Amino acid sequence: MEAFLLGLQLVFNVETMLVIFAAAIFGVFVGAVPGLTATMAVALLVPITFYMDPTPAIAAIVTTSAMAIFAGDIPATYLNIPGTPSSAAYVNDSHLLAHKGRARETLGMNLICSVFGGLFGTLILVFVSPSLAEVALQFSSFEYFWLALLGLSCSIFISIGSRVKAFLSLMIGLLLSTVGLDMMSGAPRFTFGIPDLMGGVNFIPVMIGMFALNELMLFYGSRNEGRELPYLSKDSVFKQAPKHIKAYWPNMIRGSSIGTLIGALPGAGADIAAWISYAVGKGRSKQKQNYGTGHVEGIVDASSANNSGISGAWVPALVFGIPGDSITAIVIGVLYMKGMNPGPTIFMDGTGLIYALFIVFFLANLIMLPIGYAAIKSAKVFILTPRKILMPIILCFCIVGAFSINNSITDVWIMLLIGFIASILARCDFPMAPAILGLVLGTTLENSFMSSMLKSNGDLLSFFSRPISAGLGALVILLWLSPLITMAYKKFKHNSQHKAPRIS
Amino acid sequence: MRDLLLGLAFMLLGAVVLTVASQYPTMASLQYGPSLFPSLIGGGFLIGGLVLSATQLPTLKRQLSGTEAKVENIFDLRSVLVSLLPIALIIFYIFASEFLGAALCLAIIMFVLMLVRKTSLPLALLVSFVASLTIYFLFSRYLLIPLPEGLLNFWG
Repeated sequence: MEAFLLGLQLVFNVETMLVIFAAAIFGVFVGAVPGLTATMAVALLVPITFYMDPTPAIAAIVTTSAMAIFAGDIPATYLNIPGTPSSAAYVNDSHLLAHKGRARETLGMNLICSVFGGLFGTLILVFVSPSLAEVALQFSSFEYFWLALLGLSCSIFISIGSRVKAFLSLMIGLLLSTVGLDMMSGAPRFTFGIPDLMGGVNFIPVMIGMFALNELMLFYGSRNEGRELPYLSKDSVFKQAPKHIKAYWPNMIRGSSIGTLIGALPGAGADIAAWISYAVGKGRSKQKQNYGTGHVEGIVDASSANNSGISGAWVPALVFGIPGDSITAIVIGVLYMKGMNPGPTIFMDGTGLIYALFIVFFLANLIMLPIGYAAIKSAKVFILTPRKILMPIILCFCIVGAFSINNSITDVWIMLLIGFIASILARCDFPMAPAILGLVLGTTLENSFMSSMLKSNGDLLSFFSRPISAGLGALVILLWLSPLITMAYKKFKHNSQHKAPRIS
Repeated sequence: MRDLLLGLAFMLLGAVVLTVASQYPTMASLQYGPSLFPSLIGGGFLIGGLVLSATQLPTLKRQLSGTEAKVENIFDLRSVLVSLLPIALIIFYIFASEFLGAALCLAIIMFVLMLVRKTSLPLALLVSFVASLTIYFLFSRYLLIPLPEGLLNFWG
C-alpha cells in the first residue's frame, strides 16, 4: 500500500502531468502526420527523456506511443494514408466511410476503441505481470537463454513477409550486439580500434537510424507529398457511438484480447495485432462481405487490437526484459538507463516506480479521450502540416539526438550507417523488428548461454535438465519445426482428399 | 535481381564475419570462447544469403532464357540521389560542425532540404533560422549537451 501511495506521488505532480500532456500532443502530431511512426517518435524522444526522472520519462514514452497509434487513424480516414503502420489494416473501411461523410463518426469509434483497447491491455498488464513475475523469480540463466531464443524465433516466424529476410534482419541485430568487449574473455570484438565501440553499440543511435533516418531517406526518395485534403466532414464524433458499441461490443473485447496477446509476443507489434484481429473479426462476422467496403465492424476489431497491443507488449518487457515490440525494445534500454532493470525484481521495488508506471498507463489511455476528441475536431491542422517542412527539422533532431547520448560523434556515424543500411533493406522488404530484437536480446542470449555453460561445465544437455527450461526448449524446437509440421499436415490433408473419392 | 545481389552480399558479409571471428582468442578453461556467437552469426549470414539468392535463381533463369519478360528498369537515378541527400548532409555536419558550429550547420541542412522539396525561399529561410536556434538552445542550454559552437560562438 505504501508503495502504491509512493507511486501516486510520483505521477500526480506538476512535472509528470505536464510531460503526459505534452507527450499526448506530440503523439497526436506524430501519428497524424503520415510517414512519422510511433516507433520513430519514441526513438526521437529518448535523448530528451535521458535527462528526465524515471517516471516522467516512462510517462512520455507510454503516452506518445498510445496517442500516436490512435492518431494514425486520422490521415487514414481522410487521406487513405495510414499515419502509422498500425492503421493500415482498416484504412479502406475508414476512408470509404469518410467518403460517405462519416469521417468524424469513424474517428470517434476509433477513439473509443483505442481507449477501450488501451485500458483492457493495461488491466492485463497490471494483473498478469506480477503473477508471471513470481514464476520468473525461479528462472536461471538456462530459462533466460530459452526465453531470449523464443523471443528471437517469434520475431522470424510472426513477421509479415519472407522468413529468410526476417532471419537475415535478425542476424544483423545479433551481429551489432556482439560489438564491444566480450563478457567472458574481455577480448574486443568488431571494434576496429575505435575506443567508443569498446562498450558496445549504443542502441539509441541505431533506433534513430533505423526508424527515423530510414523514413527520411524513403521520403526524399519518393515524390509524393500527399497533401491534398479532399473534404472535411462536419458529422458528430460520438452521436452514433452508443449504437455501434451496442452492436459490436464483443468485437471490442475480442479485438482487445487478440491485441494484448499478439502484442505480448516478441517481434509482433500493434500493426500485426491489428491485421490479425481484422482477419479474425472478418472470419467470424455475419457480414463478412461488408469488410473492406466501409464497414464499422472491422474498424472496431482492429482499432481495439492495436492499442491493446501497445500495453500487451509491456508484459514480457517488464517481467522478463524481453521486448514485445520495437517500442518496448527502446523502453527496455530506457529502463536500464533509469536504473529500473526489467525483470521479476522490478515488482519488488519498494519505491513505487512500478505502480507509477501502471498509473501512467491508465492516465495515458484516459487522456486520449479529450485530446483525441480535440484532434478529431482539428484534424485539418495535423494532416495538412507539410512534410517538406517537418522532415528537415526531424533530420536535425536525429543528428543532435544521436550525438547527445554520449556526446560522441561516433554515435552520429553509427546512426548514419545504420540508417543507410536500413533504407536499402526496407526498400527490399526486409522487416526491421527482428534486427531491433536481435540487438536488444543478443547480449542476454549470449551471456545466459555462457553463464549456463560455466555452471554446467559445457554440458549442452543441462539446458533440458530443469522442468521450465526443458518446456521452453521444447517450445522453441516446436516453433522451428512448425513450417515442416504445417507442410506435412497440408500434404496429408491433400492426399486424404484425393483418396476419398476412390474409396467411395 | 535485387534479392539475388543482396543474398550474395550477405554471403560475403558472413565470410568476413567468420574470418574475423576465427582470429579471436580461445580460452583453455572454456569450451566456448568469444568467437562462438560471431561464428554462428557469420554462418547464419552465409546460409540465409545462400537461400535468398537460391530462391531468385529460377526467376533469373527464366529471364535469361527469354521466357519471362525482364523487369523494367525501376531504378530512378534522381530519386536515389535525392534519397542520399540526408546522408550527405549528416556527413557535412560531422565534418563542418566543429568549424561552423552546430546551429549554423543545422540551419544549412534544413535550408537545403527544404529547397530540394521546393519550399518557398523566405519560408525556408525563416523556418531554418528559427528551428535551428530552437534545437540548438534546447539541447545546449536546457539539456546541457556540448554542441560545437564553432565560429558563431557569440551566444556566449
